[in-house]
Amino acid sequence: MTRGRRRSSPRRSKSASGAALGAVWLTLAATLGLAACGGGDDNGSGGDRPRLVVSAASSMTEALTACAPKFERATVRLSFAGSDELAAQIRQGLKPDVFAAANTILPRDLNDEGLLSTPVEFATNELVLAVPRDSDIRSLDDLSRDGVKIAIGSGSVPIGSYTRDVLSRLPKAESEAILGNVRSNEPDVKGIVGKLTQGAADAGFVYVTDVNATDGKLTAIALPNDLQPTATYAAGVVKGANQPAEAHAFVDGLLHGACAEELDKAGFGAAP
Amino acid sequence: MAPLRVEARTRLGALGLDVSIEVQAGECLALAGPSGAGKTSVLRVAAGLLRPDRGLVQGDGETWLDTERGVNVPPERRRCGYVFQEYALFPHLSAWQNVAYPLRGLSRKERRERALELLERFGLRGRADARPRTLSGGERQRVGVARALARRPGVLLLDEPLSALDARTRAGAVRELTAVLREVEVPALLVTHDFGEAAGLGSRVGVIDAGKIVQEGTPSELAASPRSAFVADFTGAIVLTGRARRGPDGLTRVDLDGGGHVVSTDSGEGPVAVSVYPWEIAIEPACDAPHGSTQNRIPAEVLSVTPLGNRVRLGLAGPQPLAAEITQASANALGLHAGARVTASWKAAATRVVRVEGT
Amino acid sequence: MIDRSGLRSSAGKVGGRSRAAPWFPALLGLALAAALTFLTLPVVAIFVDSSPRDLIDSLGEPGALDALWLSLRTTTTSLAIILVVGTPAAYLLATRSFRGKALAVTLVELPLVLPPAVAGIALLAAVGPSGILGGVIEAAGIELSLQTAGVVVALTFVASPFYVRQAMAAFAAVDRTLLDASRTLGASEARGFLRVMVPSAMPGLTAGAALALGRALGEFGATLMFAGSFQGITQTVPLAIYDRFATDFDSALALSAVLVAVSGAILLSVKLVQGSEVLGAPQG
Repeated sequence: MTRGRRRSSPRRSKSASGAALGAVWLTLAATLGLAACGGGDDNGSGGDRPRLVVSAASSMTEALTACAPKFERATVRLSFAGSDELAAQIRQGLKPDVFAAANTILPRDLNDEGLLSTPVEFATNELVLAVPRDSDIRSLDDLSRDGVKIAIGSGSVPIGSYTRDVLSRLPKAESEAILGNVRSNEPDVKGIVGKLTQGAADAGFVYVTDVNATDGKLTAIALPNDLQPTATYAAGVVKGANQPAEAHAFVDGLLHGACAEELDKAGFGAAP
Repeated sequence: MAPLRVEARTRLGALGLDVSIEVQAGECLALAGPSGAGKTSVLRVAAGLLRPDRGLVQGDGETWLDTERGVNVPPERRRCGYVFQEYALFPHLSAWQNVAYPLRGLSRKERRERALELLERFGLRGRADARPRTLSGGERQRVGVARALARRPGVLLLDEPLSALDARTRAGAVRELTAVLREVEVPALLVTHDFGEAAGLGSRVGVIDAGKIVQEGTPSELAASPRSAFVADFTGAIVLTGRARRGPDGLTRVDLDGGGHVVSTDSGEGPVAVSVYPWEIAIEPACDAPHGSTQNRIPAEVLSVTPLGNRVRLGLAGPQPLAAEITQASANALGLHAGARVTASWKAAATRVVRVEGT
Repeated sequence: MIDRSGLRSSAGKVGGRSRAAPWFPALLGLALAAALTFLTLPVVAIFVDSSPRDLIDSLGEPGALDALWLSLRTTTTSLAIILVVGTPAAYLLATRSFRGKALAVTLVELPLVLPPAVAGIALLAAVGPSGILGGVIEAAGIELSLQTAGVVVALTFVASPFYVRQAMAAFAAVDRTLLDASRTLGASEARGFLRVMVPSAMPGLTAGAALALGRALGEFGATLMFAGSFQGITQTVPLAIYDRFATDFDSALALSAVLVAVSGAILLSVKLVQGSEVLGAPQG
């Protein structure tokens, strides 16, 4: 009797669990397939178009993601990180087609090292003090209070160096107090934004475009004019890139084309 | 020392267990039966590792289980010594540490002393620091028994204590285990699938089949008067099936299935089984005329000749399979070999009529 | 007649059963060589790419030492929590069946298949300042985000499945009669757990702990998102490596080398412990 029972149930449960497993895999495959086709920067069956790889600073995430599909000459693949990380990758031999940084120093350095074409300045950005919408912090003075938690960029990423630049122009006591309240040195600007929107940090130094992108979750407090650093964005074509012609066209587009419009919409300033 | 009482009525999967046994102090009851009969379950109920739907267990002068009154003492508080089938020695502890495991409330020195004392009794003092994996099967069995005895239990439970041993070690182990059982003077319950083992170790044997005890008695009682074909077969008898009717001279004539007939001094009617033991069967050359007082004569062909010390066991093909045990000398004298035609003969008085199950 | 030619051809070959497929053993060897190269080259390159003198100098600077010390503290704390909570939990899952057990097992293993970034998001959503329990945690006066405690939480979350799974397998593999024997010998279930089950399962538990430790040492994404990156407080070695690789590659190399060496040491000691278990402790 036991034997009979044992014989029938594995078969039944095997086919039942087999069907369930099949359903799981099918759903997974369908989801991945849809994600691959639907999302990203492919519009329709643009399989014959050349591919362009663009390494860009995190602060341009929203703007470039919006304008890249509109680039007709190539299918654009975007890679966002801190500008210093992207530069280091290029130094290590990675070859994206375009490098767009949040400062001019990194592209110029790469140009000096023969890794990048002559950089083109295409936009500017404003450094702001960002706080959560309901914060009681109103100005830089509030930052040196006890218990205020501040997030800034790490020393090597443009947003971090701009921030340190700003702080160095403050009276020593104030800058030390503010630095003493720093609780995180994020590798890129989106990390700072994340800490602010999650409520982990009380204040942070980011670009005005980043605050705009949070759709009202953060408030931007403008810095006094004399403290405002010049955040100029520059881009270049990587030497040895696969699609140099398209790459140059893309860089042009940052100044004149669809991307320039998107950058403007996001709150970037015009090129100097 | 108090007796052990185990009553259990419960369902275990497809098996309905229904037993009631009592073992006196100093006595060993051997439960013998085929695998799946429920023997180990009886031990587990006694030890508290299995809770029956309804049951009563009394041992060491206490009531350990009484389902009607809601009493259920957990295993760790029952003073049982349980020897598991594969001994269940703790692999990460040495022999003496295994034996000392149940000893609580003593200093390390005292525990080691007591453990060594026990190991000495089993001739294993020299292996005290060995890990179980380096011990032989026989040594592991003795450590298992020593460990079960360490805290002087009120009841001894043994699960197939000899089955994991090879034939040579088994003989010595039987002697030793018998001596131990005599010494400890507590009731012992032993289960085995081998009737010979049960007969050797138990003062009484209970044959258990499909969860019920079908016959209980001394080993010779069971062999001499098996109450059913199952018991007869289990105790090592040849079992032949046929139809019985009253024959001449007050004897019972049984027409065997497959041909031939035997007579028996037992009474019976209708479909029956007859049992006879191999050593009660004599072998004659086929062509010989009947001589002597044996009434049952079955022609057969020798299938196999297996030496057993100074005897041989013959596998025979007749209308139904038979087996006979005769001396090696006789086998030689008759020139027996596979294929030889013989006559198997035995007395009507040695032919027992037993029940066939279901009739 | 025995076909002797067949016997002769198979006698001297490694696994060769027929003349028709001599390429199979070669293919196996090739696969192994490729795997070994792929796995060891990056590790070797770490040590080869920079001079030992530079490596040691880089290690000396305070940021690197802080990162090493922080990684050490947080991973050991996290491992301690995982062992204390995970061992009984794994035991329960391995030895009892109860309704919803399959679900419980899946939940316990879930962090295993979560990408670290997702783990970070999950932690923020659960115990972050704006998370479900954020208010409760704050009211209790506990600070997780941007604090070392937050690092420990992140490490524990991502590393515990590695231990619990191994522990479950180890406990399930222990002969259940050992526990029965322990009970019949007078030991309660708790004593049996400590004195029989855990020691019997020890090789598996050790392996699980090593895996969890390795995972915790290398954790990056969840830590960054949940706890932030600040020298001495939350910047563990992986975060420090990431911070440095753009500007001070040598320093990144040095820290990586240390991490590789430590992970290697952990693996090696686990193998040694397991090996000694298999061979048997010395007698007497």
